[in-house]
Amino acid sequence: MRRHQTLVALWILSDAAIFIGTYALAYFIRVGWILSTDFPLSKLLAVIVGVTPFWLMILLALGVFHPLRNQKTLVTLSHIITATLLGVALFTLGYYFRFTAFFSRLLLIEAFFLSSIGIWAWHIIMQRIIRHILRSPPLSFPTLIIGATRETARLIHTLERQRSPLTPIGILDSRSVREERIAGVPVLGKLNILDTILTEKSITHLIQCSNVEHTINLLSACRMHDVTYMLLPSVLGIMERDERIESLEGFHVTVVRPRASWWSFFFI
Amino acid sequence: MMQAFILAGGFATRLWPLTEKRSKPLLPLIGKPLLTHIVGKIPQGMQITVSTNATFAAGFAAWKETHKQPITIVVEKTTKDTEKLGALGAVAQWIRQEGIIDDVLLLTGDNYFGFSLKDFLNTYHRGIPIIAAYNIGDTEKAKTFGIVTIKHKSDNPLSTSNIVAAFEEKPTHTLSTLVSTGCSILPHETLPILVEYAREHPDNIGGIFEELLRRGKRIDCFIFNKPWFDIGSYDAYLEATRALVPPGKPVIHPTASIDEESRKNLAGSIVIGAGTMVTHSSLQDTILFDNCRVIDCVLDRCILDDECKLHGIDLAGKMLRSGTTLTNTPLP
Repeated sequence: MRRHQTLVALWILSDAAIFIGTYALAYFIRVGWILSTDFPLSKLLAVIVGVTPFWLMILLALGVFHPLRNQKTLVTLSHIITATLLGVALFTLGYYFRFTAFFSRLLLIEAFFLSSIGIWAWHIIMQRIIRHILRSPPLSFPTLIIGATRETARLIHTLERQRSPLTPIGILDSRSVREERIAGVPVLGKLNILDTILTEKSITHLIQCSNVEHTINLLSACRMHDVTYMLLPSVLGIMERDERIESLEGFHVTVVRPRASWWSFFFI
Repeated sequence: MMQAFILAGGFATRLWPLTEKRSKPLLPLIGKPLLTHIVGKIPQGMQITVSTNATFAAGFAAWKETHKQPITIVVEKTTKDTEKLGALGAVAQWIRQEGIIDDVLLLTGDNYFGFSLKDFLNTYHRGIPIIAAYNIGDTEKAKTFGIVTIKHKSDNPLSTSNIVAAFEEKPTHTLSTLVSTGCSILPHETLPILVEYAREHPDNIGGIFEELLRRGKRIDCFIFNKPWFDIGSYDAYLEATRALVPPGKPVIHPTASIDEESRKNLAGSIVIGAGTMVTHSSLQDTILFDNCRVIDCVLDRCILDDECKLHGIDLAGKMLRSGTTLTNTPLP
């Protein structure tokens, strides 16, 4: 098992523990710091332990555990809230099915808030830990950049600032480039050494920032070497970062819509 | 005595991905390597030396095995574009190391020329350097080559009155469209000058003629009007193929297979390599290297390297690297 897969597995297990822990905390906040005989903690724990795998599956389906995903975004928070809300619903149903009883609604609200905040905070902490480990030698995701442009420099700076697990180790360009380094990353040469670099540097990700005419061959090389290929929309002339990938009758299409009110999104 | 020296030490980065695994002189042109076309024009018995780099050495060694002529492969110990000796540097190193004392027929391995080398050699006067020049007819194109200015011009290529008045390598401005074609003869008397000049200018192959003129040496010029191509880019490669393969007369290797439907849909200049299979497809101005599979495709101005597999794809103006597989996956 690779390092990042081990870390994600530990992350999932720790999430399960925190999810169960926040429900236990909600119990004590609601009931008091005692073990009630009217509403035994063991019953609550039995149900929440049963619900946790399903709740984790929701989080996994939403892609929240992806090591490249930034946890400090509203999208991630909204996904976590969605999952914890479903967790509360599953817990309520589970408790009723198991014990044919309802209980404190306030406990459910507290459990929802505690699990949402607790999980998000834990994800932010885990992100820091995981990124630190993945960026430590040997690099987990050595990344090759294609194209020596200003957009390349911006991308490298962003990856560095966010401590992204993708670590650029070199740049190739189809043309001769004067600079020896861009944003601290060495320019290794022209595309004729692509195959050698992909093999020798054990590249896992390739990000195309320029040289649109070579897209088809870069993709071909990535497929042959089991490398993940990424393309900056600016290569296609989409500069304003307002594109979206959507589905048009089964075709994936890149969409750039005219500027309009935020709510117009819901009506296309 | 004369020896031929062919420069083939470049990394041909502009022709990536076709030159990913092979040197530019080994690119197939109308069914055989460009270098084979060149070597085929050199008179039998003349010693031939091909200079290459460490990256492509194995390819040249394999190519050499297919020829009966006496060919020596000289390998520069370079694997990167930035480590190259330079074209002139490579010639100088060969002259020094081998102690060359013969006249040298200097050829660039990525140039295709249609004229007869016998005519060129017949025009050569012992002791007087000579360069082959071609009227490219476009000043913008001419700027990327060595520009030759003639003192007295004759339309007869065998004329001895074509004497070079000036030579300028890749000028920023020119009115002349007569360009040097990477085919020249350097008499043995000029080799020490070459070695000396190469120390300072290892990259400037054309510069040696500027230097010879500066030293008051006479240089003759062989002007020809037969086809000539400097195959340095995708456009030049396709242009050379278009010029050499007339529409309606595709070059198809005997082991290639093309169904009747596809045969009817061949337009422009088509070259199809060994073991390649084409079915239900339409091709225009397209070159398919060896062992490709093209099924239900429309290809226009495309060059496919070995082992490409295309199914249900429409492509225009693309070079595909060896082993590329493109399948138009049906929608779910």
